[in-house]
Amino acid sequence: MSIERTELHDAAQKAFPADQLKPARETSWPLIAEMGWLLLPLPEDAGGLGLGRDSSAAIHFELGKVLSTAPLIPALLAVQALAAADELADQASWIERATTGELITTNLLPAAVEVTNSGSIVLSGTLPCVADADLASHVLVLAKGLAALVPLDAAGVTVTERKLWDESRRLFDVTLANHQVVPELVVARGEAAHEIAERLHGELQLALAAESLGGATAALAMTIEYLKTRKQFDRPLAMFQALKHRVADLKTRVVAAEALLWKRAVEAEATLVDLGAIKALASDVYRLVVEEAIQLHGGIGLTEEHPIHLFMKRAMLNLQLGESLDTWRERTGRQALAAFA
Amino acid sequence: MSDTTQLDTLRNEVRTWLAAHAPTGWREAYKTMSHAEFAQAQRDWFQTLVAGGYAVPHWPAGLAPGAGRSLAEQKVIYEELARADTPRLLLSFVSTYHAASTFLECGTEEQKARYLPAILEGETWCQGFSEPNAGSDLASLKCKAERQTRDGQEVYVINGQKVWSTMAQYADKCLLLVRTSSDGVKQAGITFLLMDMKAPGVSVRPIEQIQGDEEFCEMFLDDVVIPVTDRVGEEGKGWAVSQATLSSERGLTLMELTYKMRGALSRVAELIRKNGYEEDRGVLRDFGQLVTRCDEACAIADRFLQNRIDGHEGLGDASIVKNTYSRVLREFTLLGTRLGGIDEQYRAPIVYGDLTTGNWMADFMNSYAWTIAGGSEEVQRNIISERMLEMQREPKGWVL
Repeated sequence: MSIERTELHDAAQKAFPADQLKPARETSWPLIAEMGWLLLPLPEDAGGLGLGRDSSAAIHFELGKVLSTAPLIPALLAVQALAAADELADQASWIERATTGELITTNLLPAAVEVTNSGSIVLSGTLPCVADADLASHVLVLAKGLAALVPLDAAGVTVTERKLWDESRRLFDVTLANHQVVPELVVARGEAAHEIAERLHGELQLALAAESLGGATAALAMTIEYLKTRKQFDRPLAMFQALKHRVADLKTRVVAAEALLWKRAVEAEATLVDLGAIKALASDVYRLVVEEAIQLHGGIGLTEEHPIHLFMKRAMLNLQLGESLDTWRERTGRQALAAFA
Repeated sequence: MSDTTQLDTLRNEVRTWLAAHAPTGWREAYKTMSHAEFAQAQRDWFQTLVAGGYAVPHWPAGLAPGAGRSLAEQKVIYEELARADTPRLLLSFVSTYHAASTFLECGTEEQKARYLPAILEGETWCQGFSEPNAGSDLASLKCKAERQTRDGQEVYVINGQKVWSTMAQYADKCLLLVRTSSDGVKQAGITFLLMDMKAPGVSVRPIEQIQGDEEFCEMFLDDVVIPVTDRVGEEGKGWAVSQATLSSERGLTLMELTYKMRGALSRVAELIRKNGYEEDRGVLRDFGQLVTRCDEACAIADRFLQNRIDGHEGLGDASIVKNTYSRVLREFTLLGTRLGGIDEQYRAPIVYGDLTTGNWMADFMNSYAWTIAGGSEEVQRNIISERMLEMQREPKGWVL
């Protein structure tokens, strides 16, 4: 593990202690900005820390452990888009705003937005799974041949919250009805816009993968602790081999997936599909862990009072965000088939 | 020169050497060989590696050509062996790892001087540890050794049975665990001996496996005489010696095997094309999932080895690597068997000593070797849960 990454894990654990799940967004979002984490992927010449993907992933991993409610994932995507925004008027000031706590959000599932260009650029369509739109000033829209910022209070923009099973995350539908893009808010066009979209999609995969394995690690630790403490038949549940073996298998899956996560996180040559594959793996391992975690907690696992269900709901959501397990598995299969041609 | 440059130089050396010396077409050749011819091919490849200086890079410097390599350098050599898809050294494995590390860590100077050079000349060792009633619970072994004086010489006389001895039918010598006392805890009465496989009273019977290979043997020991000088460590202290034997392999084999498995995905890809599944989304998903699982197995084997190189291995880490590889190997061979359709149910020649041959039913059956041998999947789960995760152990002394 790199020194930077070790330090980031430690710093995040101190800022977000393991025993405080679902920390309030009102306090944790400013704390994240204060910690300087929004500067992590920003190149040094743009005033950032210029650290690799593994650094951001380390923070996402730790925030996954505590079921963070703060919109770090979309915020870091926006920062990276702005850093690459050749077309954007006043780029430096936008970067300044986005790295000091003004939230520019984006959609965590790809959207089909229609772009028409007759003198002015007009956008129509619905962006699903826009994170924390209630807190954001703008949404970054990635459409065919265009990346642009859209003010959430602009004409032709409707923001509708979609109530989730996972109450630790807030997602919105943002509907654009013939929204006229402000020319100064165009981030990139053509091939440059395509490159940004492709890169951000990959970054999203890695962020979700890291968050998922952080969550899986915490949910498994919570389950093991419960099994060691809870007694039935005059002994701790952890003594039953039938349960031990299930836990050992879960631990094996989490640790092995994590090894691949950190390997991919430092691979410059990792393709979008490689990153999608690690997200598919990580979210599926998260699903497996929480599925078992509820069962191993028994009756208490079905109560609202016990927090283990929160991890289950986050895991199920992560399976879908950034595109589904099936989608990424199929693409991984196609990529490998082509590679072994 | 920096470490990285040194490793790159070594990598180039090994790659160049392998390009000239690695056996080609061995997979096809192994299919038509008898098991004895396979053993000979293994001896030949081992001697080529000895001459090249790549057979025992893990031995201390000065004991063999190319010995004294760091673990990081050994990793490079194994990566290149996997990359070149060379045959695994099944026949000499116990000799170069288990036997050698036993002598190096616990042997007398005479034993080292006598046995280590012989290994390089092709003397092969097998392991006589497991017994029909001592598998996962190895310490309960019963093979009996009685100390006697015969013709003025102090000897042990051995009676008992051993099983699962890999390639014992071709071995010259055997690392043997015997019981010299039944007093005290079961580990206390175990003694470690070196047995000549040609000694009177040793009979070896290969065990025919479900896929048709004969990789393992059972051994019957009937009044076999072993001089007391052929003991490693003290009498009754053999259990500790056996732990040195079993910990000799430092994660290199699993790294080599996971990388080979990753490479063998090409065989699944061939199968997908052959059977016209290129646009079958269900098949593509299953293949994609397997690809990621193989990457995962490589990543964990790599990380484990790197942790060892860096000097921080944790309790249970090795169990996680083994259980990951063995499970992914099962998934791998099952997918091949499934995609191959009825063709895989028609008996086809097996390739000895390889795990991902493309004879899918045979590969599937062979994959059990990895979930059962070398500490079963279940034993590894106990290690992970009890030692790594510190889940409470069951009380001892339970009586039926």
